[in-house]
Amino acid sequence: MRILKQIWRWFDDLTGFSQSLGPIMSHPVPQARRTRWFYVFGSATLIAFLVQVVTGIALSSAYVTGSGQAYDSLQFITSAPIGRIIRGIHYFGASAMIILIGLHTIRVYLMGAYKYPRQMNWLTGAGLLLFTLLMAFTGQLLRWDQMGFWTAVVAAEQAGRAPLIGNWLGHFLLAGNTVGGATLSRFFAAHVFFLPALMFLFIAVHLYLVIFNGISEPPKAGRPVDPRTYRRWYHSLLEREGIPFWPQAAWRDVFFGAIVVLAIFVLALVVGPPELGKPPDPTIISASPRPDWYFMWYFALLSLIPKWSERWVIILGPLVFGLFLILVPLLGGRGERSPLRRPWSILIIGFVIFVIAHYWLVGIRAPWSPRLEAAALPASVVGVDSGPIADGARVFFDKGCEYCHTVSGYGGIRGPDLSDAGDRMSTAQMATRIFSGAENMPSYRGNLKPEELASLLAFLASRHRVQLPKPPALQGLVRQ
Amino acid sequence: MQTFFFIAFPYIALILAVGVGLYRYFSHRFTYSSVSSQLLENRHLFWGSVSWHYGITLILLAHVLPWLFPRAAAALLGDPTRLLVLELTGLALGFYCVFGIAVLIARRLPNDSRARAVTSPMDWILLLVLAFQVLSGVGIALFERWGSVWYLSTAVPWLWSLVRLNPDASTVTGLPVLIQSHLISGFVVILLFPFTRLVHVFAIPIEYLWRPYQVVVWNRNPRLPEAPTLAKDTTVSVPAPPEPTDLDRRRLLAKLGIFVGSVSAAIVGIPSIAFLLGLRKAPEVWRSLGAAGSFQIGQTVEVSFLDSSPLPWSGVTAKTAAWLRRESPEQFIAFAINCTHLGCPVRWLPNADLFMCPCHGGVFYKDGAVASGPPPKPLVTYPVRVRDGMVEILTSPLPITSI
Repeated sequence: MRILKQIWRWFDDLTGFSQSLGPIMSHPVPQARRTRWFYVFGSATLIAFLVQVVTGIALSSAYVTGSGQAYDSLQFITSAPIGRIIRGIHYFGASAMIILIGLHTIRVYLMGAYKYPRQMNWLTGAGLLLFTLLMAFTGQLLRWDQMGFWTAVVAAEQAGRAPLIGNWLGHFLLAGNTVGGATLSRFFAAHVFFLPALMFLFIAVHLYLVIFNGISEPPKAGRPVDPRTYRRWYHSLLEREGIPFWPQAAWRDVFFGAIVVLAIFVLALVVGPPELGKPPDPTIISASPRPDWYFMWYFALLSLIPKWSERWVIILGPLVFGLFLILVPLLGGRGERSPLRRPWSILIIGFVIFVIAHYWLVGIRAPWSPRLEAAALPASVVGVDSGPIADGARVFFDKGCEYCHTVSGYGGIRGPDLSDAGDRMSTAQMATRIFSGAENMPSYRGNLKPEELASLLAFLASRHRVQLPKPPALQGLVRQ
Repeated sequence: MQTFFFIAFPYIALILAVGVGLYRYFSHRFTYSSVSSQLLENRHLFWGSVSWHYGITLILLAHVLPWLFPRAAAALLGDPTRLLVLELTGLALGFYCVFGIAVLIARRLPNDSRARAVTSPMDWILLLVLAFQVLSGVGIALFERWGSVWYLSTAVPWLWSLVRLNPDASTVTGLPVLIQSHLISGFVVILLFPFTRLVHVFAIPIEYLWRPYQVVVWNRNPRLPEAPTLAKDTTVSVPAPPEPTDLDRRRLLAKLGIFVGSVSAAIVGIPSIAFLLGLRKAPEVWRSLGAAGSFQIGQTVEVSFLDSSPLPWSGVTAKTAAWLRRESPEQFIAFAINCTHLGCPVRWLPNADLFMCPCHGGVFYKDGAVASGPPPKPLVTYPVRVRDGMVEILTSPLPITSI
């Protein structure tokens, strides 16, 4: 021990760390009292980021950045000892980072901590939020299975909606005319070099600003921020009742960060990394691209907004979000900080959380997606083995009706449930609908032979509310 | 949109330029001037103004002459060496202009600059548009090479079609955005003519060239800031100003440092960015899909082929898939597998004669027309041909739906 101490003294004598960094570590911070546990999300985000850096370096030491080999190298990583755990930590670390940066943003916004003099803290934080989302997106792509491949295509298509430069931007993202050899390298460079470099830079500035402007004191209703007097008041507050950051305030950060790391590790062990899908072969047509959970709500949002608004939402949505983040500290840099005096802030956060939670839940079900894996209706549902009704059931499956319409628990949920179609519609009404189609249903005019139509109508007319016994494990089959 | 920018906007710009220009000439004739700020600030003006005016005059000539004499220009550029020399000269002149306009902008920037005090918002707009124009020009020279050649077959026909009052923008609408923005902002400059000091172009004192020269003698050293004369005969104490020459040197060193640093950054940065931007072009080639006889009439099948530029490490991603349909013995049609909504792969339902997208349930009829759901456009088709009994498909870029 004594030797260690001597080495430290010698090192400190040469570097002066205890003189230069010591006061920074123990600088006084305001007492947060009841809200003290709300202050841990920022440091926990940083810890999650460091987890990503460490595991990311480990992964990159075996990952092959080639469109043809990346998939195989990931299988190699997954099968290597501990490789599965590293992938798991990287995946749940990403998830944790998204959640924590979200909580941190919400905390800062609700407590009005972005007001004078901390506007630049907020703006650098907004940059970090953006980079984190981009990291999540590119990271999902680097898995480079079928989902990763189609993520690249969907990204290019969304970029293509930008006015004037859309087409150019889309092909720029793909690094070519199609997804090919150069595409993956481009996203790899973004995920591993470009974005992390920016994040290190922004984190450095962000932390510097935290020290320079001081950690915000908990807001109190009726104590507005006045830029002319705030700094003086803040310093007198620190002199009166400040506590040293290390260790009196920071132990909570360490404690919470340790819990986060532990949770990531346990999840990686127990749940494991997301399974690799099919290889990234563009000729495997049977693909149903889905984003990872953190973008599931956005996927759902784009699916459910009115068709005419989509071209605007794809481009303006992210822009408006970014503009909001920029304008928050610029327009609201003074005045009341307490959420009790800023009811709109509570409403906005509540609205955002509601929208994300709602669309996230909807996105998991994806009612707008046809169920192309649906199997033909069994005889127990049809009720007969032969005759026009059985023929109609076959037509119902052959013509793709079942991909969107449920009959007695079988089939998709994009269109109306037709289990009791015979109760609700006359055959004339059914024929009209089948012929004319609808906004979300193709017209079958010219697609059905007269006898096919007749048997289909017979089948639909035979659907009544009197339920046949449901087959077992029915829900699991439909909503997987 | 492009109709507006390349047909309507040039006419609007020209009409406004001529109309307002004439109005200004007859109503405010003495405003036809460059509103020189030479008396206020001379040192930077020399470097900025000389670089800018010599550079831009030659550059403009290089734009106007080939427009007037396209065939002569084509003959001149036919030889690779001459082309290279001219391109490099143009690029150098472009940099000369960039330097000039940068100095002209910089001299108006400092808060204590006297030139800034007389700078109107219109001046700033003009400076920015001109800066954008020369920067985009240099950008084109760097990233879209041999502009002096393709200029003759793209912008020149378009400009002549405007002159002939038979506007046809088809030769420029397909150009990269960088070039299009250069063309558009060129007309913005024309539009700005009567509203800014740019009118001085029409008031060039050409007679300066042959009139006897005159010698300007300053009766004070223009390099020294005005001495604070007030301090001498009042009791107000003014801190002694630092030695002017020392201050000058410090300022110069700071500016030099920033300039040298920027140049170094540009030397490394521009090639890196250019490399990133350059990776997207690939030729289109015909790929064989198999004997025509192997496809049945009226059937839609999935075909796969190598994309136009497969790389050794592309692996399975070098492949591209398409839906091929044989309409008649001689007629084939190939659809991109990508849904026009967000690019997901559509599936062919052979019994239902429909394409269906698994992502958001877009449906297309067998001819690619939208049947239902969110897709805004029909399925994109690839060119197909039958040659020597083999079906061939033209490798095309991934279709990206844009608005």
